[in-house]
Amino acid sequence: MIDQTNAAASATAAQAELARRAAGSDPVPRAPRQLSALGRAQLLCDPGSFAATGSMRRSASRHAPGKFDGDGVVTGFGLVAGRTVAVASHEFSNGGGSIGSGFAAKVAELQDMAIARRTPIVFLNDSGGARINEGIDSLNGCGQMFQRNVRAKSLIPQISVILGPCAGAGAYSPALTDWTIMVRGTSHMFLTGPDVVRAAIGEAVTLDDIGGADLHTITSGVAHLAVDSDEAALLKVRELLAYLPTAHGVDLPLAAPRDPLPEAEFALPTLVPIRSSEVFDMRELVRGVVDGSEYFELMEDYAPSVFTALARLGGVPVGIVASQPNRRGGILEITSSRKIARFVRFCGRFDLPVITLVDVPGFMPGSKQESGGIITEGAEVLDAYVTATSPQLTVVVRKAYGGAFIAMGSKSLGADFAWAYPDSELAVMGPGGAVSILNRRELAAADDPAAVRAALAEEYRENVTRPFAAAESGIIDDIILPQQTRETLLNALRLWHPSAGPARSTPGAA
Amino acid sequence: MTGAVLAELSGNVWKVLRSVGDAVSANDTLLVIETMKMEIPVQAGTDGTVTELNVAPGDQVGEGDVLAVIAP
Repeated sequence: MIDQTNAAASATAAQAELARRAAGSDPVPRAPRQLSALGRAQLLCDPGSFAATGSMRRSASRHAPGKFDGDGVVTGFGLVAGRTVAVASHEFSNGGGSIGSGFAAKVAELQDMAIARRTPIVFLNDSGGARINEGIDSLNGCGQMFQRNVRAKSLIPQISVILGPCAGAGAYSPALTDWTIMVRGTSHMFLTGPDVVRAAIGEAVTLDDIGGADLHTITSGVAHLAVDSDEAALLKVRELLAYLPTAHGVDLPLAAPRDPLPEAEFALPTLVPIRSSEVFDMRELVRGVVDGSEYFELMEDYAPSVFTALARLGGVPVGIVASQPNRRGGILEITSSRKIARFVRFCGRFDLPVITLVDVPGFMPGSKQESGGIITEGAEVLDAYVTATSPQLTVVVRKAYGGAFIAMGSKSLGADFAWAYPDSELAVMGPGGAVSILNRRELAAADDPAAVRAALAEEYRENVTRPFAAAESGIIDDIILPQQTRETLLNALRLWHPSAGPARSTPGAA
Repeated sequence: MTGAVLAELSGNVWKVLRSVGDAVSANDTLLVIETMKMEIPVQAGTDGTVTELNVAPGDQVGEGDVLAVIAP
């Protein structure tokens, strides 16, 4: 009898401790946060599917023994739209989400498991960086996480969400992942915060100056998407993952094919202005081509002279790279080159077909670009297209001049197919510039140089830049009309994805 | 500077479509810069009145130059 009473009493004590521990590893969120780290992981995943691991683990540091169950991070696995993902979610209320040795070991083990099981991994970051009182143990742990970020790069999709102040080591891990999403107003990323900046170099800066969502999605390019709330950020992760395979070499997630919206399709024949200097919105063309006229744009506000987005074509996820003539003329420069190279490499890693829509006036000339290393950055675009192993389909929409013609997914770099619209111009340079060089003497001697220049430019346009010459030599596979773009792309895409949906449902077909 | 309209790219001013004193709405095209074979429209960032217009057709402008000022 006595033994049984003791057993019942100790069971109650154990259950009480379990409850206390559970509360300790899932504390009340600190304002402005509305969700704990566990709450965020649960909201990211399908309802009821997230299971945490190591929720009582503490730091084993000799310098500063761990005080928090979970050591400031929630790790585990859950489902997103029925597919398994690994999640690491920083708990700011426990030690500011600082990275101690227990924290780092938990994350590294999660990364190892995600790599071994080939599941995407999502980092919900809210960490001030390395835990200072753990000294070198903490830095060692950070390095181990970074190492795995890099090892995972070619194997599994890695998505980072910034949900608070992420400093130092807390900012590096996101930079090693595929895409980073920030929340305007509440999230920041920097190597050193305003106080240290002031102490070190005397510069007075605010959090937003050195690490806000606008800075990183518009100017620095460190982050790739900005939203207005934690919930919106988590929804974006789910949306993004829907376009991606769970790992390199795994089948793409196919959907039922959908036609573009009729109004978007009807706009195509007259969308591109004949005059090659006149701007238009390339997104309208994309809407006329892709399933449901829907796309998921990445790096929208950074280097907007090019457009990069994920979309579906006949149900198959694809990456779209497009010149955007109505922003800085669609020019290639340092920032837009970085944007393209990054995106194309990502598509290559995860087998996403790359569709390139070209209307590019060239690479930006001038001292600013040359001194900033445009040659190196432009070469990165070439490198990205040559090394990407996914299908590459290119459409020259209007202008494709000079080195920019080569860079934007040309067949010479390895594109599988390239087409051009009938009024497009493909040449070393535009007609105006070409006649200035080719007909210098003739122009100098002319009574009416402007008229002679216009006539010569027209002649050059007719004889040299027309896409028919490129088609005759095989540089272009065919000349197509804008309204044939979707059908043409789908026919080619079926070489890799036989199920790529019908270009158009056949009337009367069963 | 609030309401300052800056040159996004270096180039030549090709057309000036609005004058000082004009009421404009955000995204109205104020002038067109010709550069790299492209006609780049320069648009008002906000609703207001054009209080300064610093360029004329044919002028060379540099990236970041203040082309016009709009007072709300």
